[in-house]
Amino acid sequence: MLAASCCDRRMCVCPGPRRIAIPVRSSRLPLLSDAMPAPTHLFPLIRNCEISRICSTMCYCHHKHLCCLSSHFAHGHFRYAPQKKFAALYRPKENFYQFVHARDYASTPQRFYLTPPQVNSILKANEYSFKVPEFDGKNVSSVLGFDSNQLPANAPIEDRRSAATCLQTRGMLLGVFDGHAGCACAQAVSERLFYYIAVSLLPHETLLEIENAVESGRALLPILQWHKHPNDYFSKEASKLYFNSLRTYWQELIDLNSGETTDVKEALINAFKRLDNDISLEAQVGDPNSFLNYLVLRVAFSGATACVAHVDGVDLHVANTGDSRAMLGVQEEDGSWSAVNLSYDHNAQNEREVERVKTEHPKSEEKSLVKQDRLLGLLMPFRAFGDVKFKWSIELQKRVVESGPDQLNDNEYTKFIPPNYHTPPYLTAEPEVIHHKLRPQDKFLVLATDGLWETMHRQDVARIVGEYLTGVHHQQPIAVGGYKVTLGQMHGLLTERRAKISSVFEDQNAATHLIRHAVGNNEFGTVDHERLSKMLSLPEELARMYRDDITIIVVQFNSHVIGMIS
Amino acid sequence: QGGCGCPIPGGIQGQAGCGSGQPGLLVGDLHTAGELSDSSLTPGYEGWWWADLLLSSAGVQIHERTSVSHVSVQKGRVTGVETDRGHIKCQYFVNCAGQWAYELGHSGEEPVNIPLHACEHFYLLTHPLKEPLANNVPTVVDPDGRIYIRNWQGGILSGGFEKNPKPLFTEGRNQLEIHNLQEDWDHFEPLLSSLLRRMPNLEALQIMQLVNCPESFTPDMRCIMGESPTVRGYFVLAGMNSAGISYGGGAGKYLAEWMVNGYPSENVWPLDLKRFGTLQSSRTFLRHRVMEVMPLMCDLKVPRWDFQTGRQLRTSPLYDRLDAQGARWMEKHGFERVKYFVPPGKDLLDLDQSKTFYKPDWFDIVGSEVKCCKEAVCVIDMSSFTKFEISSTGDQALQSLQYLFSNDLDVPVGHVVHTGMLNENGGYENDCSIARLSKRSFFMISPTDQQVHCWAWLKNHLPEDSNLTIEDVTWKYTALNLIGPRAVDVLSELSYAPMTPEHFPSFFCKEMSVGYANGIRVMSITHTGEPGFMLYIPIEYALHVYNEVMNMGQKYGIRNAGYYALRSLRIEKFFAFWGQDLDAFTTPMECGREFQVKLEKGMEFVGQEALLEQKQNGVYKRFTMFILEDHDTDMDLWPWWGEPIFRNGRYVGKTTSSAYSYTLERHVCLGFVQHLDEKTGEELVVTTDFINQGEYEIDIAGQRFQAKAKLYPFSSLFAQRRRKDEVELSGYQRE
Repeated sequence: MLAASCCDRRMCVCPGPRRIAIPVRSSRLPLLSDAMPAPTHLFPLIRNCEISRICSTMCYCHHKHLCCLSSHFAHGHFRYAPQKKFAALYRPKENFYQFVHARDYASTPQRFYLTPPQVNSILKANEYSFKVPEFDGKNVSSVLGFDSNQLPANAPIEDRRSAATCLQTRGMLLGVFDGHAGCACAQAVSERLFYYIAVSLLPHETLLEIENAVESGRALLPILQWHKHPNDYFSKEASKLYFNSLRTYWQELIDLNSGETTDVKEALINAFKRLDNDISLEAQVGDPNSFLNYLVLRVAFSGATACVAHVDGVDLHVANTGDSRAMLGVQEEDGSWSAVNLSYDHNAQNEREVERVKTEHPKSEEKSLVKQDRLLGLLMPFRAFGDVKFKWSIELQKRVVESGPDQLNDNEYTKFIPPNYHTPPYLTAEPEVIHHKLRPQDKFLVLATDGLWETMHRQDVARIVGEYLTGVHHQQPIAVGGYKVTLGQMHGLLTERRAKISSVFEDQNAATHLIRHAVGNNEFGTVDHERLSKMLSLPEELARMYRDDITIIVVQFNSHVIGMIS
Repeated sequence: QGGCGCPIPGGIQGQAGCGSGQPGLLVGDLHTAGELSDSSLTPGYEGWWWADLLLSSAGVQIHERTSVSHVSVQKGRVTGVETDRGHIKCQYFVNCAGQWAYELGHSGEEPVNIPLHACEHFYLLTHPLKEPLANNVPTVVDPDGRIYIRNWQGGILSGGFEKNPKPLFTEGRNQLEIHNLQEDWDHFEPLLSSLLRRMPNLEALQIMQLVNCPESFTPDMRCIMGESPTVRGYFVLAGMNSAGISYGGGAGKYLAEWMVNGYPSENVWPLDLKRFGTLQSSRTFLRHRVMEVMPLMCDLKVPRWDFQTGRQLRTSPLYDRLDAQGARWMEKHGFERVKYFVPPGKDLLDLDQSKTFYKPDWFDIVGSEVKCCKEAVCVIDMSSFTKFEISSTGDQALQSLQYLFSNDLDVPVGHVVHTGMLNENGGYENDCSIARLSKRSFFMISPTDQQVHCWAWLKNHLPEDSNLTIEDVTWKYTALNLIGPRAVDVLSELSYAPMTPEHFPSFFCKEMSVGYANGIRVMSITHTGEPGFMLYIPIEYALHVYNEVMNMGQKYGIRNAGYYALRSLRIEKFFAFWGQDLDAFTTPMECGREFQVKLEKGMEFVGQEALLEQKQNGVYKRFTMFILEDHDTDMDLWPWWGEPIFRNGRYVGKTTSSAYSYTLERHVCLGFVQHLDEKTGEELVVTTDFINQGEYEIDIAGQRFQAKAKLYPFSSLFAQRRRKDEVELSGYQRE
């Protein structure tokens, strides 16, 4: 029943395989597999006819292809088989509830669809735009501004985003962070990473000045100006702890004073590594405050990828850890759009990355290192912040968990040790940094988590954003010329073009526009409202099956300034 | 336009359409359709060939591919044309340059303002149908779909007037670019959709071309013709708003008459170039306005519609004050005027929903303003009126004005005279009030849109005399109209001067102080027949005087009012208004204003002979007031203007204006009644008996309502209540 091959991704929105294949609470599908020793009272309910009904519920949003679940089931089967005991620990009641809920949903005859205004309010709930202020009627920055947006699939969303202007050095920092096994790590990284980068970039004198100010209790020079959506929050409780770690970092930088000018690439790498190190240390040391103690542990045991861009004049650096992606939108001379990758995905699809992991561990582990395209058969990204389960020794993990708070001990995930775990660390937060000199034809940069890239090809992303930013006027005009065209054909063509245009005008934010396409695109590459509405009407528990959290930042460049500098 | 023409009950054919090789017209969604018998075939481009032939045989030379650089003018007259092939001497020049008429008008030393602007206009040409269309297939116009469809060489020619026009050539000088205009299919899409909706069978028809052919539009959707107000002999015929082919013949005829006789044979004031001035010549204004005008071509034109673009150009100094008090505005000759004031807390309909031929949403608002005018006092800002000052060193001013105006202007200083400015035929060129400020200077008040026309008329008729000066002082004065029985109390309290009729009789003018401000020209006229005063205030005092009047007026129940209230008051008093009721083909004799004509004033005046003749022989039309008897204000369609008048069941004329009289609680229509011979249709003299001895009906959109005809206004109903005692008492109350 479940063995059919997966249908085309673009046609049928398969749920992206979960980033981390650890039995977390919301995973319920393995229960359908015979390999799972599911509680007996549950089985009669979902057996026989019920199964097909549930499955069609899952797929109701689109085609009746059962196959679209198959990859997931298959994964689940293999993945969970060795860890039956965790599934057995599941609380059956919860699963029961979830199934009942799903069934209720399917048995409701009239389908509830969102209206276009409702769809818009969902899509626009998290949108944010920033325009670089002009001086004297001129914007001297190479960045015109940026649009960003998020669409949750997880509840709560596990993606984070950050944007800030460096005040003590020049340049702007923008980043997207994709958390897994919870949002704690992504949250911490989104709050802290830019400070680490900014500090790494600061010249010696400024560091001294800041240290002196802290020492004497004077007002601190502001380092970053944040550009935040009201929903983007910083944790107040941990700020003192985070600040102390940061201060230790700059004090070390002061002591180390190499006297050389700071190289951006090096600064980015150092900042990434240092922050990951601090996260790890804070978890090991713990905190007397029980709330904070639990927080630092949650941060360390969860994980996050990061894709950060630093723009200063024509110098664009992208530091990437994990499988979020940065893409440059380039306008060719004929007005068409092309995409240039500015980051490499750190996952099993990247051969160099697989190679790297293999060279870092003994030959004996070669087979167990990457399984089902996952690190140790578990983790999709091959680099990440946090995830101390893949970094610490088994002894350290046990010690920390045992001495940790009860909540930690209750959590099956933290207790469990990855299989074939012989030579940690298996995971690093060190980024790959790509430097690019901006040219006038480089019009925009898209930073997005894999939720976007799973559903859209980068070429389409470049075209959609490009056409959005330049306005639809760049749509090639139609000329009949000598061709034989009937009124009916022309009418069809024009109606289609108009539909395209109207979808552009609905959005004031390039990221929102991109999300609209990512979620609502039909086979023709135009937004299908019905489909969009169905996708957004999915109940919380189902949403994650059909899409991942999506976070997008679109940075628009100022071609005039870039042209003048270069 | 404007009026409620009756829909022509046309034979709507079935789905299949006429059998004459016409592809099926889908008519299921139509409410009304009509077929105009002779409009089906208009001469297209072929007409030009005939004209060419005819003119050549009459000795006319036609220079093609010749460009005019400018028109030479001497002493305010056209003398010739400079072309790229040399100079051509001429007496008359007609600017028919279409969308380049604006530029050509500005190319000479003496600019001629021809306000028009081009918009892109698209039409589609197709290959022939399998069964080509017959030549007699009528042109189909679908206003809802905004398209027209006609036969073109066996195929279809279809274009339309889209909702989102594309104005072009705003910067001018683009003669060459017109050949390189691009087709814009995306822009044409809505029109193509409605074409296929109306005629679905055309789907398989092959496209030949989408033609982009700009058309020129004017600020009020009416074409522009006539002589320039500044250059004699310079004529214009342009801005046909895409209807050049249909209007060409008639427009050409009137223009030819104009050039030969000095005036056309019909009233063409709505088309006269002089209805515009320099103020409508801004390219930005024109660009914005034509974007509103072009879609109107296919829209339903409702009465009292105001343009929404190109507004707030000329405003009174009180504009902001009035606006803050709920004023709703209309525009006349670029000037913002108040229609009425929406009381706080009251909501009116949205602009689009307020479009109606029935009782409008402002009915009660205007009613309460009228009531206040009748019972207390209202103030109306009437600054838009055209104001001229004519003065001289000797008695040249008096002499000239006596010649130009029909009434006797040799009145004591301080008197105001209401008089017509007539043409040779006795017709009204202007209807104005003139105050004699001193022995040698006069203050002339004319309707707002007379600014250009009246100026040109005076310039052309006054003698060249350096001792005689006329000045346009429109912008120098803010005019406040205090209407109502308590106006006298307000003014006397503000000026410490007795304002009672004994001291300040009606039709009197005095410079006095109001509040702190001195030099306010106060006239005891209100343009409505109601008691009250007009205040002509130098603009720097406007706000002060307005504030004083409003403060002092509070205890008398003063409030703001607008032009709709004024209009209702005026029409129920049978006051004709120039431009609506009166035109160049109406004489004072025909509208009951013999008393404003002094045939024996001791000197000749323009139109005297014609009036003498009318006095002896009688008139052929008569301005009459009708009170609708069985009209239900709430339920029935309202009369607006242009409704046919029937006497004893026979058509005798049309209404020119109408208003609801809140005093009579009836509708009042004003219009002209003719006496047409029953057999020959010949025009006969209209006598008082003829008017009085008839049963009248007014036809509103096909429904006839009984009407009572009157030649003179009601007097008893409106008896002025004298309040002499109260007035005097209130004068002391301030002590």
